[in-house]
Amino acid sequence: METHDWGWLIVIYLFFGGLGAGAYFVSGLATYLGNKTTYRSIARWGAYLAPFPIIIGSGLLIFDLFRPWNFYRLFLTIQLTSPMSIGSWILMAFSGVSLINAFLWVPRETKERLSSKKWLKRWKGLVDWSWEPTTQERLRSVFAALGLPLSVGVALYTGILLGAIPARPFWNTPMLAQLFLFSGISTGTAAVIVLTSFTREHALTGDQDAKLLYTMDILLICLEMLIIVPFLLHAYLATASIKNSLHLILGGPYTFLFWGVVVLGGLLIPLLVEIYEIYPMVFKKHMHHSRALEVASGILVLVGGLTLRYVFVFGGQLSAFDPKVASLGLGMP
Amino acid sequence: MKQKEEEQRKRYVMVVELKKCFNCKGCVVACRAENRVPLPVSRNWIDESGVRGKYPFLGMTFEPSACNHCEDPPCERVCPTGATFRSPEGIVLVDDRKCVGCKYCILACPYDARSVNHRDRVIEKCTFCKHRLPEGRTPACVETCMGHARHFGDILDPNSEVSRLLGEKDRFVKKKEAGTRPAFYYVY
Repeated sequence: METHDWGWLIVIYLFFGGLGAGAYFVSGLATYLGNKTTYRSIARWGAYLAPFPIIIGSGLLIFDLFRPWNFYRLFLTIQLTSPMSIGSWILMAFSGVSLINAFLWVPRETKERLSSKKWLKRWKGLVDWSWEPTTQERLRSVFAALGLPLSVGVALYTGILLGAIPARPFWNTPMLAQLFLFSGISTGTAAVIVLTSFTREHALTGDQDAKLLYTMDILLICLEMLIIVPFLLHAYLATASIKNSLHLILGGPYTFLFWGVVVLGGLLIPLLVEIYEIYPMVFKKHMHHSRALEVASGILVLVGGLTLRYVFVFGGQLSAFDPKVASLGLGMP
Repeated sequence: MKQKEEEQRKRYVMVVELKKCFNCKGCVVACRAENRVPLPVSRNWIDESGVRGKYPFLGMTFEPSACNHCEDPPCERVCPTGATFRSPEGIVLVDDRKCVGCKYCILACPYDARSVNHRDRVIEKCTFCKHRLPEGRTPACVETCMGHARHFGDILDPNSEVSRLLGEKDRFVKKKEAGTRPAFYYVY
């Protein structure tokens, strides 16, 4: 196939889908692991961040449709064999849950400040809406529990969407779903690292928070490497079509983007930076605090995640079964 | 009653005799004219095998191709709205009223048989000229084929031309490893 039927909008959507799901995942995890003081800013900023990429991404998805006026048809049916159908439903549920969850994390002072604003007058009822502090805590836990499996579903589905197509051998491996899941949660974590490094709370409880975020991100990057290596081995030892599709990243047009930007820039360098940041923790109970390094490693992970999706979406569409003709390999007529 | 339905059941297939195709591309033009397919889209095309063999025993085949109307179509499987479906006669069709245009089917097709028609904003694919079949006519590509390389008919009818050809000769399908069980056969 010479043309790309899925373009940049899909790349950005897959990236945003993973990012929002990852932010929710980190936030939910922090809600459970933390208490009144620890991990608060992670849970809060993750919850704030989660709905927006998801909603923008879904908007892009509808915008990318070729017959967008029919898009409601996606929600009149469930096609169990179509990853896109199941994904649409998960995406819708996740958008709702993550929006409510973000609202649950808005602190009382902010709400009071907002409710005095004139331009929000029409929404006063919504802004003033609050619960008893204990109820609110419980609701946050409930929404963390609701959203965690949904967020895993969203991130996983972005990979299954591509992986479920045998006709594109570069995509058609069960490992793609996991790669996109770990990469999505990793980008979400990185976005939360970047966000929280600019908040006031960070300076107070910074070490604990940073330790959780970095540990998670290091773990996720290692998991991604543990997917990429078997992905290459598996593909190299598989049928001719899959083996030939590896040419895309081994000498083909996407070689530099994959090895230079995704693997080196998006995984290995941030991994080293994060280990450097966190390793004094092991001996002295403090860590290198450098906002520049935090932001740099976070942004590298984000760029790597976006590039990973670019390589797979654009590259995968070039891969196909060989051979093209039916009679190849036949004796002479 | 059930037996009568069974007798009326049809399964349309296309059989191409490779030795009779000389790449005139009449089928491509006929399809475009019949179905008003705008350029640069085409519902059918001809794959060339290139020169094969060793001098002096050289050969080359031309393989007319289109939607293979698979028995297990990947495009139907991935369609999120159920717009792609298989008719009782085994023809893979798109219900435009349900199609959202996500292009997932285009990517899922191992034969690259689907494409985007920007003029009518629909997914373009071969329909085996289903509008001609009730009149007892064959698809436009079959009717126009000068070398009589193309044959169209019901594989469940043992007396049909396609059944006879498939019974007499070795048959091949494209991308067998895709496991889609195509209804587009090639014989020499």
